[in-house]
Amino acid sequence: MLEHVLNGLYYGSILFMIASGMTIIFGVLGILNLAHGELYALGAFSAFSIIGFVAGQVAAPTGPVTAIVFGVVVLAGSLATAAVLLPVGGALEAAFIRPIYDRDEVYQLLLTYGLLLVLTDVMKFVWGPSPVDLGVFGGINEIPTTELVGIDYPSYNVFVILIGIAVFAWLVWFFDRTKTGRIVRATAINREMSTAIGISTDRMFTLVFAIGAFFAGFGGAMVSIGPGSASLGMGLDWLVLSFVVIVIGGLGSLNGAFVGSMLVGVSSRVVTPYYPQLELAVPFLLMVLVLLLKPEGLYGAWGEIQ
Amino acid sequence: MSAPGSDDRRDPSSPLLEVSNLSATVEGFEVTHGLDLEVNEGEAVALVGRNGAGKTSTFRSIMGLTPVANGSIRLHGEELLDMRPELIPKRGIGYQPESRDLFTGMTVEENFRLPIWTAGEARGVEDEDALVEEIFELFDELEDRRDAEVQNLSGGQGKMTAIGRALALQPDLLILDEPLEGLAPVVVENVKSYIHEIIDRDISVLIAESNASHVPEIVDRMYVIERGEIVDSGDPEALSSDEEIQMLMQGGGE
Repeated sequence: MLEHVLNGLYYGSILFMIASGMTIIFGVLGILNLAHGELYALGAFSAFSIIGFVAGQVAAPTGPVTAIVFGVVVLAGSLATAAVLLPVGGALEAAFIRPIYDRDEVYQLLLTYGLLLVLTDVMKFVWGPSPVDLGVFGGINEIPTTELVGIDYPSYNVFVILIGIAVFAWLVWFFDRTKTGRIVRATAINREMSTAIGISTDRMFTLVFAIGAFFAGFGGAMVSIGPGSASLGMGLDWLVLSFVVIVIGGLGSLNGAFVGSMLVGVSSRVVTPYYPQLELAVPFLLMVLVLLLKPEGLYGAWGEIQ
Repeated sequence: MSAPGSDDRRDPSSPLLEVSNLSATVEGFEVTHGLDLEVNEGEAVALVGRNGAGKTSTFRSIMGLTPVANGSIRLHGEELLDMRPELIPKRGIGYQPESRDLFTGMTVEENFRLPIWTAGEARGVEDEDALVEEIFELFDELEDRRDAEVQNLSGGQGKMTAIGRALALQPDLLILDEPLEGLAPVVVENVKSYIHEIIDRDISVLIAESNASHVPEIVDRMYVIERGEIVDSGDPEALSSDEEIQMLMQGGGE
């Protein structure tokens, strides 16, 4: 049972890295970014190339100490991968999304869906149609973690859970404590009034989109490092799940995205081993339940008074 | 009231704000028709008219929030219409919108600090904390509420926070859209005294009012706006007691 819960938290952490960006982009820009799953996939493919390169610079781990070095190198590689997504996200926003803020939502959905198709083709062009696997998973697991407390659970999963929590903590700190974070929140709360106190909303939108892309890319890198592989269809599955998460958590809410991710992650991983036929249905059942009890989602967006 | 005249940028011969021939549009409909309006350095001016007469649209056009089909809006002689709207507060206009539009979920103090973070450099703010304290000293009854989230404020405190947030830009011109509307009579007197204090600090003020009776106590000059046009202007004492103007103000039956 503990293993299933940990698996759920692991799964939820990766989901959060995608859903957090999607919900923040929705909260600030008012755009449901259907291409967000592709940014995550792009992170997974880029991680294959970037981490593959940096991990090749160090020897494969032979013991706990070299494994820690190896782990740090892989983490640096994931951050570098995510950093690649910053300019990609910023450029996509500035070039394609900015011109249609004033248009109807239908145009925005069509445009981001178009971006989804284009990004998929770009990845197919660069990395080919078959899934690619990084194969550094074993090395990371040489680092002892759970064995220290007498449980046998992959260290890699433990790291991803810790990273998921750290990402959440960083985002909360950024939006609650930093000047830039609070300026972004002001933009989300009232776009016109933000302009009237001198905030360049265009700049904030680009920043938010870039941050969202960064964490989606980071999530992608986590999957690439893990037992999974980078594949062309991966973005779509997670896009749908992220959508479920942000509906459960409340559109535009960061706390909601975290709680929603963990709820979806844990419930699906705990139920699936016992009722495998429910695997796909669990997140949606959870969503239906939340919508029945609290149609606006568990949490409110910034500035919404609860 | 005379201009401070200490700032080299300022041309004493041209008004601080000069709106001419303004035709603002809302959803394609023209809501002001060739409107002219001026505010001089250090002057307090009121724009008085019924609800729907075009006061808010005029203010929103000045802030670059409502599209303008025709006309010109100049601040210190510089045209604002060609400017990106976020630069207008940085040029020196602080704006309190009618609906207050505070940043909910944030504290009173955060609402005061945000404009300094975004425009403080452009406005020459040297000491952020000192400016924030200065605003709390002016609105002394907000002092105890500085860490309260703004959605928990009373109506009067909310208005004060919105005015204080505009003051955090160290504005040359403060635009107040119905600062007294919807407040209890005793609070109205409070807010009036705060506005007096602001005017005494040589900040030019442009106020929209739908109730002409408050106006003579506050401003030096007033304009009467009706159906998007200025129909009269001059001494507030004389105008607000003018029978025709009183008829006009009551005509709509607010």
